[in-house]
Amino acid sequence: MAKATIRNEIRRLRFEHGEMTQQALADRVGCSRQTIIVLEQGRYVPSLLLALQIARVFGTTVEAVFTMEAGG
Amino acid sequence: MVILWGVAALGAAFCAMLIVVRRAQRVLPPIVLPPGETMPTTALQRLAWQSLVPIFLLTLATAAVVAYNGVAVAWDNDAVRLPATGLLVAALAVFTYYIGRVRMWIIRDNGTLDERDRAILSSAPAGQAPAMMVTLAAWMIGLIERYHASHLVPSAYLYLIFWSLLMVSILASLAGVVIGYRRS
Repeated sequence: MAKATIRNEIRRLRFEHGEMTQQALADRVGCSRQTIIVLEQGRYVPSLLLALQIARVFGTTVEAVFTMEAGG
Repeated sequence: MVILWGVAALGAAFCAMLIVVRRAQRVLPPIVLPPGETMPTTALQRLAWQSLVPIFLLTLATAAVVAYNGVAVAWDNDAVRLPATGLLVAALAVFTYYIGRVRMWIIRDNGTLDERDRAILSSAPAGQAPAMMVTLAAWMIGLIERYHASHLVPSAYLYLIFWSLLMVSILASLAGVVIGYRRS
């Protein structure tokens, strides 16, 4: 089975939402700023709950925030 | 000689734990931060460091006391054995404090721990069993080689084996948390 990579648009969405800081996003979804940093950099794949909370903060869908790229 | 085996056992256990934790992780891209900015630490990460360092130093101090005086003296002489035990009990007290704080965070669920913290906590014990097995194997090989001819292993070693396994287990679990933040 090919490995899939999860990419996200959190950084872009933060800046499109009034240059929201990582800390502000972390406070709104109930996680640490460190978690937001590793999320943005693709080092951590969030749970469905956290993904839904992030999408809700940006007023969009999970698919608009996170995309799966099938690898070779 | 046997003390050297003990030190080698602790070193081998630490290496085994590191290898297990590293192999269990995916290959991840490096974290890139803006110039001048440092990675913020989480409450669990700080607590794990604040517990790991004193426990490691107390364990090291105990090993130094036993190594300096020799196993026989450390076992027979109350003036050596009791302070050495005191150092280890102090290390246990630090670990108890760590466990208590973490349990309190989990039970209260007040947002101190997020899902990544919990994931790291869950995977932290991965290195404990290999570290303990290596320690036990090193003790067994060392003691057999040293006392094979006499067929008599001093009972002091039961005490040392127990404490070394306990401290290796504790250090491996704390190191698992610290390493978990670097590797996820």
